[in-house]
Order: sequence, then structure tokens, then C-alpha cells
Amino acid sequence: MGAAVGGVEGAFAEGAEVRLGDVGAPVTSKVFIALRVPADPMRTFEVFTQEIALWWQPSGLFRVGATGDGRLAFEPGVGGRLFTTFDDGSTYEIGRVSVWEPGQRLVFAWRQPSFSAEQSTEVEVCFEAVGEETRVSVEHRAWDTIPRKHAARHGFPEHVTLQRVADWWRGALEGLRERIGGL
Amino acid sequence: MSAYDLDRTLAALADPYRRRVVDLLRERPHRAGELAEATQIAFPLMSRHLKTLRESGVVEEDRDPFDSRVRIYRLRPEPMADLKAWLEETEALWGRQLVALKAHLQKGRK
Repeated sequence: MGAAVGGVEGAFAEGAEVRLGDVGAPVTSKVFIALRVPADPMRTFEVFTQEIALWWQPSGLFRVGATGDGRLAFEPGVGGRLFTTFDDGSTYEIGRVSVWEPGQRLVFAWRQPSFSAEQSTEVEVCFEAVGEETRVSVEHRAWDTIPRKHAARHGFPEHVTLQRVADWWRGALEGLRERIGGL
Repeated sequence: MSAYDLDRTLAALADPYRRRVVDLLRERPHRAGELAEATQIAFPLMSRHLKTLRESGVVEEDRDPFDSRVRIYRLRPEPMADLKAWLEETEALWGRQLVALKAHLQKGRK
């Protein structure tokens, strides 16, 4: 698989961890891509989350039969929604934020309308300072286990599957919603 | 590729043992017994995993031409191709979005 951002000046993409064609390497669902941007990590995080409607390119993923993706928005903090609002005022929830570390790390669930009720994927975005710039990396995974160091940080057993993690978060968030009175 | 098919493939592979089976079948077709042995899981449990993989269309079964009591499992190429296509689309999507994010940040500096 080639670099998705090839040909763009100043851009660099790291190969996706996809080796479906190679016998011997485990089947994976992980995509990894990174790019250096001209801002510090705090500002980059802020723009990624709070100005997403201004930079997001329509992908046609979130509404079948309509043009564009609507206006994307993040609700800040763990449990916040990533959702999109269409011209007619209707909304679609793409997923919930599970890690919100401004200037460092952002993890959120990613469900396309075509996914079944149980199916979810997860996106992790990391922000690392490189001089005065920031290396933004996106890891999108459908089932690969979360990295061991993160697993340890959150107290998950390291072999737990992504689906279980997603279930865990769903449960945790439902519990939280109940406690704070149906937000 | 239909979204339904991809979804079934993802669901079928959302289990480490079933992924291990898929990894083994990518080398060559295997008998159910060989799969159980290689993954070190009990035969009845392996049968359940194989049933899930079969129902999702990821694998197909044949009878051994030399011994009709023995079933041989092989990978069907289509679900793997669908999965690869999804991964490629997802990679292209984030590539585009990161480039757009970068362009937006560059605009903001001027």
C-alpha cells in the first residue's frame, strides 16, 4: 500500500500496518498514518478538536445519499461526542471520546452508519512536538488490541480485544450518564 | 463490496482465535483437527469458531477427497479483499484529512 499523502509537499506518511497479502504476518485491522504540521501540539490539538468543521474534507461516509459529511464537532472531554450536523438540522453521532489529553492524545470511537449495532472502530490521535512543529499521527483500528502501555494505563488486561474495550467504555459511559442525570 | 459484508467480516475477525485460524488458512487449507492442534484450543470450541467463520463467509469447507469424513477448511478470497479495500479507504481518508488539517494550520499562520 502506498503512502496516501504522496506527492504533497512537506507531507510524509508512514506505511499502514497492513500485510494482508503477506503470508506469515498476522491479519491486522490497523491503519497508521502521520504528518508534520506547522503548529505546537497544544494548538494542533485545539484545531483538531475545536475547528474540525473548518478543515474536515467531505468524505461521503456519514450519510448515504446526501452530499458532504455535515458539520463535524467534538464535545470536549472524556465522554464527549464526535458528531455531525447536516443542513436539515439532523445529527449523526460518529462516536464518543474515550481519551482527551490536550496537546498529547485523543481517542474516540468511530462508527459509520453502515456499521451494525455492535460494530465499532477506534481512532487514536497522538500529538508529538518536533522542534516548533507537531507530528500528528492517526491510528485507526477495527479490532487490534490497544497498545500495551495504554492498556496498562487504563487497567485493561493486555489481551483484551478492542470490541471488549468499546463495550467497557460504553458501560462506563452509560453509568456516568445515569449518575449525572441523563445528559 | 457491501457494507454488510465488511461488517460481517470485521465481526468474524473480532476474536483472536478466529484471526489465528485465518492466519493459518492464509498459508494453505487445513483440516479442522490441524487447526485445533495449532491453536491449542479444544475441538468443540474450534468447531464453533469455524462455524462462525463459515457463516460470515470468511472460510468455506470441503470434504477431504481421500476421506469424506474429514473436512478441510480454506479461506474465501472475497472477504479478505473487502477488508483490504476498507483499510485502504481508511488510510486514504486520514491521509486526506491530515493534509487538510495541515493546510488549515498553514492558512492560520499567515
